[in-house]
Amino acid sequence: MIFRLVCVAFAICLGLSAARAQAPATPLQDVLQQNADAVANPSRGTVDSLIAALLESDLDGVPVFLERWRDRAVYQRVSDGLFFFGTATDGGFDLTDVDTGADAGRATSTEVSELRPNAGVRRVIGGALVAFQLLDNDPARRVAALDAIARSPSDDQLGPLRRSIEDEPDPALKDRKIRLERLLAARYAESEAERITAIESLRGDLGVDARAVLNLILTSSPAVFATMPTDRNIAAVLTPGSDDLSEEAAYDQLVSADLAPPLTGVEPIKAALIAAIDGGQVAGIPVASLTTDDARESAYEALAAAGAVPPLVTLEDQAASLATHSFVLLYAEPNKAITDAARETLDAIGMQVARNQAADLALDGLSLASIYFLAAIGLAITFGVMGVINMAHGEFIMMGAYTGYVVQLFIPDYTLSLIVALPLAFAVTFGAGVAMERLVIRWLYHRPLETLLATFGISIALQQLAKNIFGTQARPLTSPAWLSGNLTFNEVVSISMIRVAIFVLALMFLGLLIYILKRTRLGLEVRAVTQNPGMAASMGINPDRINMLTFGLGSGIAGIAGVAIGLYAKVTSEMGSEYIVQSFMTVVVGGVGNVWGTLAGATLIGFLQKGIEFFNPSNTLAAQTFMILFIILFIQFRPKGIVALKGRAAGD
Amino acid sequence: MTRSFIAKNPSVLWFLLALSVFSIAVTLLSEATGTGLISTSFVKTLGKTLCLCLIAIAMDVVWGYCGILSLGHFAFFGLGGYAIGMWLMYARTELIVVESLANAALPPTDKEVVDAIASQIFGVVGASEFPLIWSFAHSLTLQLAMVVLVPGLLALVFGWLAFRSRVTGVYLSILTQAMTLALSLYLFQNDSGLRGNNGLSGLQNIPGLDAVPQSVISIAFFWASAVALGVGYVLFAWVVSGKMGSVIRAIRDNESRVRFLGYHVESYKLFVFTLTAIVAAIAGALYYPQAGIINPAEIAPIASIYLAVWVAIGGRGRLYGAVIGAAFVSLLSSWFTGGSAPAVNLGFYTINWTDWWLVLLGVSFVAVTLFFPKGIGGLFDLIVLKPVADRQGDYGPDKGAWRKEEGEP
Repeated sequence: MIFRLVCVAFAICLGLSAARAQAPATPLQDVLQQNADAVANPSRGTVDSLIAALLESDLDGVPVFLERWRDRAVYQRVSDGLFFFGTATDGGFDLTDVDTGADAGRATSTEVSELRPNAGVRRVIGGALVAFQLLDNDPARRVAALDAIARSPSDDQLGPLRRSIEDEPDPALKDRKIRLERLLAARYAESEAERITAIESLRGDLGVDARAVLNLILTSSPAVFATMPTDRNIAAVLTPGSDDLSEEAAYDQLVSADLAPPLTGVEPIKAALIAAIDGGQVAGIPVASLTTDDARESAYEALAAAGAVPPLVTLEDQAASLATHSFVLLYAEPNKAITDAARETLDAIGMQVARNQAADLALDGLSLASIYFLAAIGLAITFGVMGVINMAHGEFIMMGAYTGYVVQLFIPDYTLSLIVALPLAFAVTFGAGVAMERLVIRWLYHRPLETLLATFGISIALQQLAKNIFGTQARPLTSPAWLSGNLTFNEVVSISMIRVAIFVLALMFLGLLIYILKRTRLGLEVRAVTQNPGMAASMGINPDRINMLTFGLGSGIAGIAGVAIGLYAKVTSEMGSEYIVQSFMTVVVGGVGNVWGTLAGATLIGFLQKGIEFFNPSNTLAAQTFMILFIILFIQFRPKGIVALKGRAAGD
Repeated sequence: MTRSFIAKNPSVLWFLLALSVFSIAVTLLSEATGTGLISTSFVKTLGKTLCLCLIAIAMDVVWGYCGILSLGHFAFFGLGGYAIGMWLMYARTELIVVESLANAALPPTDKEVVDAIASQIFGVVGASEFPLIWSFAHSLTLQLAMVVLVPGLLALVFGWLAFRSRVTGVYLSILTQAMTLALSLYLFQNDSGLRGNNGLSGLQNIPGLDAVPQSVISIAFFWASAVALGVGYVLFAWVVSGKMGSVIRAIRDNESRVRFLGYHVESYKLFVFTLTAIVAAIAGALYYPQAGIINPAEIAPIASIYLAVWVAIGGRGRLYGAVIGAAFVSLLSSWFTGGSAPAVNLGFYTINWTDWWLVLLGVSFVAVTLFFPKGIGGLFDLIVLKPVADRQGDYGPDKGAWRKEEGEP
C-alpha cells in the first residue's frame, strides 16, 4: 500500500512538473506522503503514530514542519496531494517546498486546502516540538521552550525535558532545566518515591513557581460525609462554627449535597406568606399583625400545618443536621505520603520566605527612614538651635523638587542634570531660608507659637505660588537610567536603586552634618547657641549670624531632600505637606537639637510605618492612623523624645 | 454678682447688642420673614459664619487666654457635625424607607426597616449593616448627647494624656495636629463606619419638616446659631473673668510659676481644653445642617490652622477679636475664592483672585503677625482710651510669655 502510494506520488510529481525532470531528494515529503491521510486530517487517535514516524525519520526539517503545522501554515495541493508551507498573500498563497524551502509557486485558495489541526492535536504537536526546541542549537529558542513549559506545564513535557538536560551546553540554562525538571517531577513523575524526592528537593527554593507547584499538589476541596471516611486523603477536619467554616457555609454544603433541606429563611417565609395572602389574612391571621419575625414564623407554621408549604426548617434543625455530619477538606492528590511531603516542604519554604520577607521589610523600612531623615533633619536642627518650628519646611522640600524639574528642562541629560540639580536645589532653598529668617523669623524669636503661624502663612503663600507657576498637575523628575531598576538579592528581597541612592545620600548627609557640627568652628558655635544662647553671645559668638546660617543649612537640606523625593514620587505643589507631618513626628519622637535623635526618630517612624503596613497592607490610611496614635502614646513616656538634652542644655 | 460681671466686662453688653441688631436686621431682610433682600443661601452663609465665630471664641479662650495653641479644635467641630449628621441622615432615610415599604404586601418588620436604612446609607461604601457607632442614631436625644459627649471625652482623654506629661508649646501644637490628622485619616477609610470620603450628605433636609421651605429653616438655624454664639460669648466671658480667668491667663504667661504658687495647672488646662472642645462641637452641630454635607476633608489639620489664623488676625486675648477675625476672614475668603472679586490687570499679568487669594492671605497673615500682633481687635484700643500700664520689660521670663505691648493693663 505504502509502496504504491509512493509510486503514485512519484509519478504525479514527475508528470506534473516538467521543470523537475530530475527530482531532488524529498525525504520529508516522502514521509508525509506515506502518512498523507493522517497529516491532512489529523485527530488525537492518529497524530501520535504520525509524530512517532516523523521522529523516527530523524530528518532536519521535522521541527520546522511541526511548528508550521501547529501554526496552520501547511497546505495540501488538491491536484496532487503534496504538502507545502504557505503564506497567505492577497487572495492566494505563496508556497514553499517542505524539504528545501525553495519557492514552489503560487496557488489560489481553490487549488490548495489548508490543514487545520484541532486544539488537542496542536497540543500534542506542541509537546513534540518542545522536545526539538529543548535541543535546538539556538539558545534563544531553548529559553523560549523553557518559558513555554514554565507557563503551562503538563505531564508529557517531563520526558523530553529530562532527555535534554544532559546535552545542554549552557550552564545557566542547564540549571534552569534541572529546576524545571524538579518542578515537573514533583507533579507528574511516575513513582511515589520519585515525586517525594522531587518535592523534597524543592526545600529552600524561594521561587514563586515552586510554591505554586506545592500548593497545586496540596489543592483541597471541602466535602461532607455522614461518617468519617478512612480511605481518603483528608487535609483537615473542620468544625462548623469555627473560623475556617461558618455554620451557614457548612449548612450550604449539606444542602447542595442534598443531605438536608434548605433553611427557611426570612425571605422564603415572606414569599410564602405573600403568596398565601387571602383577603387580608394569612392562615386566619391578619396581615397587619405580621410586623415581627416571630409573628411571621408562627403564621408560616400555621400554613405548614395546613400542608400548604413545606415544614419550617429552623436554626435548631440546622444545628442538628450539622452535628450529625463530618466536614472535611479533601486533598485532590490521593497519596498521603506525597501530600505530607509537600506540606512539610511548603512549611519549610514558608519559614524561609518569612525570614526573607522580614529582611525585605527591614530594607523598605531603612529606605523610608532615610527619606524621613533627609526630610526632618533640617527641621530638627533649626528647632534645636532656635526653638522655631518651620511650617514652611515642606514647601522648601517642594521648592527643591521643582528646582530639579526646572533643571531637567534645560539639561536633557538626566545624570548631568541630577548633578547640577542637587547643589542648585541646596543653593535655592538656602537662599530662601536665609531670606525668610532675615525678614520674618528673627522678629519673632520670643514668640515661638507665632513663628509657627507666620511660617504657616508663608507655607500657604508658597504652595499657592507654586500652583500658579507650575499648574496643578504633577511634574516628572526623571531619574537617570542607572538609577532605574532594582537591586535584587533573591526572589523575595529586592529594593529599587533610587531608594538605595537615597539611603546613600542620607548617609552622606549624616556624615556631613556630624562633621560640620563636631569638627568645624561653625558647628561649635551652633552647639553653643543651642545650649545657651545668652552665654554663647557673651563669649563673642554672634547668635544672629548663627541663627541665619543654621536656618539656611536646614532649608538647604530640605531642598536636597526635595530632589531625592521627587525622583521617586511626583512633584506637585502639595508634596511638601505630605511629608511635613511625618517630619514633625520624626523630630518630636527623636528629640530636638541632635542629629542622632533625628536619626533614631526617623528609624523608628520608618520601620514602624512599614511594619504596620505589613500587617495591614491594603490600608495605608489605617497604618498612618495607628502610627500617629502610637506616637501620641510614645510622647507620654518620653515627652522630650528618644535623645533628650539633659541638664541645663535642656533649657527649661 | 451678675452686675459686677457685666460691669467688669462691658464688651459683653456691647457684643450682645451688636449681635441682636445684626440678627434682627438679617431677619427683616431675609426671604422668609422680611423683604427678601438677602437670599436664602446668603442667610445660610451668615448662619454658618456665626458658627465659625463660636468656634473662634472657643479657640481664643484656649489659645489667647490659656496659651495652648490647639491645632485640633476643628476635629471637635467636625465630630459634633458628624454626631448630628448621623441622626439627620438616619431619620430622613427612615422616613423615605418607611414610605417606600408601606406599599409592600406584608407590613415590614423593624429589622427590615433598619436593614433597608443601612443599605440606603452605606450603599456607596459597599456595606449594608450599621456599624456599632450608629447604635444611637435613631434617637435625636441620644445623638444630641453624643454631640457633647464624644468630642468632650476625646478632648478629656487627649488633654489628660498630653498635659500630665507636660507637653507644652510647639510640641503640644504638633501633637494636637497629629491627633487631627489621625482622626481625619481614620474617617477617610470606607470601613470607618461613617461613609469614608463620601461623608454624610443631605443634612439640610430636616426630617419631618419637608413641608417647611428652606428659607424658613435657614432663618431658624441662623437664630439658633446667633443664640449659641451669644450664650457662648457670655459663658467664655465669665470663664475668663474673675479668679479662674486670672489663673488661666497666668498659666499662659508662666506655667511653672503658677504651678509653684500651688495651683493645679493641669486641671485648669484640662478644663479649658475640654470646655472649648465641647463648644466647638456644638458649633459644628449647628454648622453642618446649614452646610448640608460633611466629609473628612473638613477635619483635616489645615482647617484648624485656618482657625488659628482667624483668631490671630482678629486679635487674640479678646473674645470680640476672635469673632471679628472669623467673620472677616471667612467672609472675605468666600468672596475672593467665589470669583466675585474683580481681577486686577497689571498690564503684563492679570491677577485672578481665585488663584492669588491664598498668596494674599498668607502674606497678610505674616504681616499681621509681624506688625499688628493685636490684630483687628486692637483697633478698638484706639477708640476706647484705656490707660496704658507704664511697665518696663516683659511680663514674664518665659519665652512664650506675652510682650509688654500685647498685654492688657
